[in-house]
Amino acid sequence: MLFAQAPAVKQDLVKKLLLLNWPFLALVTAIVLVGVAALYSVAGGSFEPWASRQVIRYCVGLALLFAIAFSDIRWWLKWAYPLFLSALVLMALVPLIGVESGGARRWLGFGDLSFQPSEMMKIAVVLAIARYYQWLAPQKIWRPDALIPPLLMIGVPALLALSQPDLGTAALFAIIGAGMMFLAGVSWFYFAGAITGVVVALPHAWEMLHDYQKERVLTFFDPDRDPLGSGYHILQSKIAIGSGGLSGKGFMNGTQAQLNFLPEKHTDFIFTMFSEEMGFVGAIVLLALYLLALVFITFMALRCRSMFAKLVAGGMGLTLFAYVFINVAMVTGLVPVVGVPLPLVSYGGTSMLTMMIGLGFVLNAHVNRRVTFRQAELGGLW
Amino acid sequence: MSKSKALHYGAKKKPDYARKQSYRFSRRALLVGGAQAGLFGLLGWRLHQLQIKEASEYRLLSDENRMMVQLAAPSRGSIRDRTGALLAEDKENLRLLVLPAFCKSLPETLDKLSHIVPISRGTRDRIRRAAVRQSGYHPVLVAEGLTWRQFALLNVLAPQIPGLRTDRSAYRKYHHARPMAHLVGYVGMAGKEEVDLDPVMRLPGFRAGRSGVEKTFDEQLRGTPGTQKFEVDSRGRVVRELGATPSTPGKDLVLSIDHHLQTVAQERLKEHRVASVVVLDVETGGILALASTPTFDPNDVVFRVDPKAWGRIARAKDQPLQNRAIRGQYPPGSTFKVVTALAGLHAGVIEPEETMRCPGVYRLGRARFRCWKSHGGGINVHEAIKQSCDVYFYETAKRMGIDHLAAVARHLGLGRIYDCGLPGQKEGIIPDVAWKRTHLMQPWYGGETVIAGIGQGFVSSTPLQLAVMAGRVASGRAVLPKLVLSPDDPDPEWPLLQLDPHHLDIVRRGMIGVVNEPRGTARRSALKIPDVLMAGKTGTSQVVNAYNEHKLSPYKRETHALFVAYAPADKPRYAAACVVEHGGGGSSAAAPIVKDVMTEALLRDAAKSPAFAGTSAETISGQIAVVGDGG
Repeated sequence: MLFAQAPAVKQDLVKKLLLLNWPFLALVTAIVLVGVAALYSVAGGSFEPWASRQVIRYCVGLALLFAIAFSDIRWWLKWAYPLFLSALVLMALVPLIGVESGGARRWLGFGDLSFQPSEMMKIAVVLAIARYYQWLAPQKIWRPDALIPPLLMIGVPALLALSQPDLGTAALFAIIGAGMMFLAGVSWFYFAGAITGVVVALPHAWEMLHDYQKERVLTFFDPDRDPLGSGYHILQSKIAIGSGGLSGKGFMNGTQAQLNFLPEKHTDFIFTMFSEEMGFVGAIVLLALYLLALVFITFMALRCRSMFAKLVAGGMGLTLFAYVFINVAMVTGLVPVVGVPLPLVSYGGTSMLTMMIGLGFVLNAHVNRRVTFRQAELGGLW
Repeated sequence: MSKSKALHYGAKKKPDYARKQSYRFSRRALLVGGAQAGLFGLLGWRLHQLQIKEASEYRLLSDENRMMVQLAAPSRGSIRDRTGALLAEDKENLRLLVLPAFCKSLPETLDKLSHIVPISRGTRDRIRRAAVRQSGYHPVLVAEGLTWRQFALLNVLAPQIPGLRTDRSAYRKYHHARPMAHLVGYVGMAGKEEVDLDPVMRLPGFRAGRSGVEKTFDEQLRGTPGTQKFEVDSRGRVVRELGATPSTPGKDLVLSIDHHLQTVAQERLKEHRVASVVVLDVETGGILALASTPTFDPNDVVFRVDPKAWGRIARAKDQPLQNRAIRGQYPPGSTFKVVTALAGLHAGVIEPEETMRCPGVYRLGRARFRCWKSHGGGINVHEAIKQSCDVYFYETAKRMGIDHLAAVARHLGLGRIYDCGLPGQKEGIIPDVAWKRTHLMQPWYGGETVIAGIGQGFVSSTPLQLAVMAGRVASGRAVLPKLVLSPDDPDPEWPLLQLDPHHLDIVRRGMIGVVNEPRGTARRSALKIPDVLMAGKTGTSQVVNAYNEHKLSPYKRETHALFVAYAPADKPRYAAACVVEHGGGGSSAAAPIVKDVMTEALLRDAAKSPAFAGTSAETISGQIAVVGDGG
């Protein structure tokens, strides 16, 4: 009996390894490698200071991804709400004890470590909403009072993010939350109503924006307002992308980026410098890689049995999509500059780790695709 | 069977709703996926618009003249001595760089340049490697420290040699470099922590103070950078300047040092391996000279730095980077008897006329403490100081106890760090019962009080502290050392010491006796200036003890030679202290140095002449880090 047990555990892990979506992982690694090459080029042909650290962060992220992918999905179902609440408390603490950097207070510091509670919230909000719809009986989904908990789960973190002030993150919460509610099956009519409401409320929201946010929106609509100020970024970015042409200026030869016309070229504007050097072909290939990753995620979500797993995978997919779309739309001048990084490619430890953790949850849902939950496991709303 | 049923959530009761929700999820997921693909299509269309349809337009914009914003490094404030002589200043550094991407052929370009500026084979290799390794748009340094002639020639040739760049940055030049090295310090590239605190530090040509005054007053000297907007062409060449916010140069500093006296002091120390000397103005506390040997030339470490040269200095024998005058901690030896005498008189344990007998040895219980010679009978406090009788001070210290002695020592300025702008000062040790309990977790023993009375045992001081002690005894005031002169800051009125002036007079007379009376220990170092007397106290402190005797080399076993002094004896103006590490006897090694340096100080009398008031006319405008071709 003792002998029989040991291989069983081993088999379990082997089973899980086989269940893992390895092609998807290869795809993610390919995107990261594109980013490392871009960072190598931005540094003027050097692994220092960015590319080497990005590789290390990817490796750390990969470890986290595996740890989450092979963990028990029931555990996450159980801890989804506590996780969400602690993220909420930390976000609320930021204005009180946070570290200020660049005019905004977004970080919590613990000695030498610092982290953004809003990043933790991006994961926690997906888990919490998925947990809610797993609990909610399907026949009750149409009821107006069933909308209140998810709306609070989206609204409170979004308002906290707005007060930091961090418009980009607040928008991200709204997009992810709305998308997940739609996936869960909330009626079309509510969405139609919400869109009407937003159109009506827009002028009032405008008044609540900070001056620099208004300035960004205004210069977005008219970049010539201040060609050396905030419009400078968009204009320079468009020039750099446009001058790349079909085939680009060649690796490490982007004049606009290399001659320092571009701001933040290793973080938020890395797509600009990539498409300047690699041209239309390179940019489309990179976008195609992302789209392929999204297709993978969608099909993984479809194959899950439980609503929790479906929504976790779907929600993380929405997060990835929102990041990529907002970033690329921003640098090509389609939406205002809001400071969202290109996931897996932009330099930055926080966004890399958040994204790898998020993808870890997608793979966790995939590995546990056959699992279903009994009503007894869920208890009440909490 | 029942297990497989339970796997289907809610299958028993409401199969319809759950399955319906699952189907709805699939429909909507495909819809959302479709929308995502559609929005990616929008991005693709946008990229197509920018990179294909309007590409030629943007390429034109990119080739046309562009705006470029650059930070301009401020020039660093200069440092002068009290006479106005420059000690440190920013000098223009004319540099030649190449942008490999714009060169037709790199070797050819270098050939052409080598007619004007010699380029060694090693430099060529370095440039070639740099050009391969990094992007061609990064400028590579070819030569720096060009002459104006070379610089002008290069600028004339610039239009014919594509890829050529010249620029004007700044470097730090130190004058009277070797004597001043420890005081003024030197600058270096900002370290990682400084860059994290202030990203401006990343700017090429921006330097931060690494030691000495350059470090302490770094913020004042540094200035604030300005910005410059250029119009540049597609090759990054400056077409014209579009306006600038000028950088604010750093503030200048004037030190109380007299560079002449400092140089004399440094020269005088040369004959010894490790030694230092400090001269103070006892009225203002101004440091007139503070020299430490061995020294180094900071110009070797700030401009055209050769890492090997830097390593040679940093690892050289006797550590030339160390400022012994503030970092060397020595047992003060007999110079400390000045403190013991004052403390004894203050405590009332000795009377001025009370005499003791010195049989050459002092007994405490079973322990025996030796005197350096047998002085015989009739030793009063004056004779004890003059002849440096150990037995007298053993007894004095034993009578008053260590805590009283330590309190007076601290009142005379020992055992502390001074806020005078010299970084890295050491505190020294003035031990008492509480100190030993907290630091060594041991009780205090009576024998330790006895040897503390002659400045041995735990007691240690830096030369600067000893000079302050001499200055306080001389002036009777709580003088503190000062290094920086500021025009709006009047000379301070130091508070009177809380010691009986009569007691101070007794000790001063003893110190005059040391140098000027028969049997005084520094009789040979009396000043040769008519009618001017120096007062002083020799010290020879023991390094060897029972534990380390066999471990030390003969040099390390030799005693330290110390001497503290002030002059003129009747109206004190200058106080000095000198320590020669392992120099032998205080009267033979340290006192002659102080005699010569003091003579120089008295003859120049720098303290009396008005200090340099600063240069308002010579404010240097901010310099530009990179100026394209300048053509």
